[in-house]
Amino acid sequence: MGQVLDARGLRKAYKRTTAVDGIDLTVAAGERVALLGPNGAGKTTTLLMLLGAILPDEGTVEVLGHPLPKERSEAMGGVGFAAGYLPLPERLKVREVLAVFANLYGIADPGAGISTALERFRIAHLADAMATELSSGQRTLVGIVKATLHRPQLLVLDEPTASLDPDVAEQVRVGVERQCDETGAALLVTSHNMTDVERICERVVFVAAGRVVADGTPDEVMRHFGRGNLEEVFLHLARPEER
Amino acid sequence: MLALDGLRVRAMVRRQYYVQRRSPQRWFDLFIWPMVDTVIWGSIGAYVAQQGGASGSATPYMLSGILLMHVVYQSNVSMATGFMDETWSRNLLNLMVSPLREIELLASLMLTSLVRLFIGLGAVALAAWALYAFDVTSAGPGLIPVVAVLMAVGWAISLVVIGLVLRYGSGAEILTWGILFIVIALSGAFYTTDALPAALRPLSEVLPSTHAFQAARTLLDGDPMPWGQLGIAAIGLVVCIPLAVAFLLRMLHLFRVRGYVTRYN
Repeated sequence: MGQVLDARGLRKAYKRTTAVDGIDLTVAAGERVALLGPNGAGKTTTLLMLLGAILPDEGTVEVLGHPLPKERSEAMGGVGFAAGYLPLPERLKVREVLAVFANLYGIADPGAGISTALERFRIAHLADAMATELSSGQRTLVGIVKATLHRPQLLVLDEPTASLDPDVAEQVRVGVERQCDETGAALLVTSHNMTDVERICERVVFVAAGRVVADGTPDEVMRHFGRGNLEEVFLHLARPEER
Repeated sequence: MLALDGLRVRAMVRRQYYVQRRSPQRWFDLFIWPMVDTVIWGSIGAYVAQQGGASGSATPYMLSGILLMHVVYQSNVSMATGFMDETWSRNLLNLMVSPLREIELLASLMLTSLVRLFIGLGAVALAAWALYAFDVTSAGPGLIPVVAVLMAVGWAISLVVIGLVLRYGSGAEILTWGILFIVIALSGAFYTTDALPAALRPLSEVLPSTHAFQAARTLLDGDPMPWGQLGIAAIGLVVCIPLAVAFLLRMLHLFRVRGYVTRYN
């Protein structure tokens, strides 16, 4: 299996803190990986470096064989990104938002693709709604549709189910799984919902204080820390004073 | 590296079109504000002429001044606010992780500002003709290169403003208008630069817009195109635009190094 993502020795320090302290991360084609860790562990900074939005102080990133930042545009053509915290552009209808982003990803005539993608996430009825009038769950779903329209080889999701009710979270999980099954896309996801992770991902990478502290299948990681489930591993890492 | 993808540029122009269409307040900038300016400056010109304090050219000078000021205004404000739309709707991260290149975003903003410029100028020209019988075309086709210079000045200012917003965040947005009016004041849009305080004249001389406004007044007087003035303006642009681009690129680099994109998450 070839690698769709290869990051080596990533390091990022801000004025008062070191956010990422030497992270190596690879994702193989079709692989589903969760990047986990407590708040402030460096997950989002890592993701943003992997996507070229933040430049690392040290280290290299290669996405789909394209080195960043030099070939960022080519690399991002094969990547889809959505985050639970990101709003959609204002004053556009859902269908317009999706058409604009489809064009950005090289799809000249996205009409049919948009309808199919909205159906996949069971939100076809939102096509003509204004993007700013959506609930947070609906917005998240539209964000994921936006990220998957161009059938990316790597789908990156940052907290996709944060603050969603169980029903919408289930819609997200099912839609993402179906997308990955149908297109063979690799998945890199951050989440605080360990149920999501155990269900979707075959590999988990735990980070704490900017470093990778465990990397393996959920079972391997649980065994490594001597815990019965990922939730307990998470709590163990989030409370260093109890270790 | 500088290759433009037409589809991506078109996508961003379309995004701007949707914003314009659904933002009634944006039409104020395009129609109302240019007309208000025309009435204010046209009436000042007419009043000065009535008082015998100036020759009959006061009104045309004022009206051509406001028309050309709006070239700088529209090209600057359209481009800068087009970028700021992405910060206001926190869409910057979505764009930064898409294949869109910076040059494509700028190209789309320039195209949008061109359209807005023609609409805004049309509004001023129409108001000047209807209310003060001032026909802007009386200056002849020589006005075209003057407009081109002023448009480029507006774009250069907006590149600096976008750079400042990237570096300092939304607090720097006010400079969109602040820097513009400093340039307008120093450029002598409504007066010859002799009227400026002596200390400010050297500053005025280095601005390309100063020479463009001067060339426009010469044309309005019925004299031939002052190619010397236009040449100085063009040389000024050759210096200013690369400086503005270099500044923007530097700020963009800092934006990525310091992770300022998280301000808009």
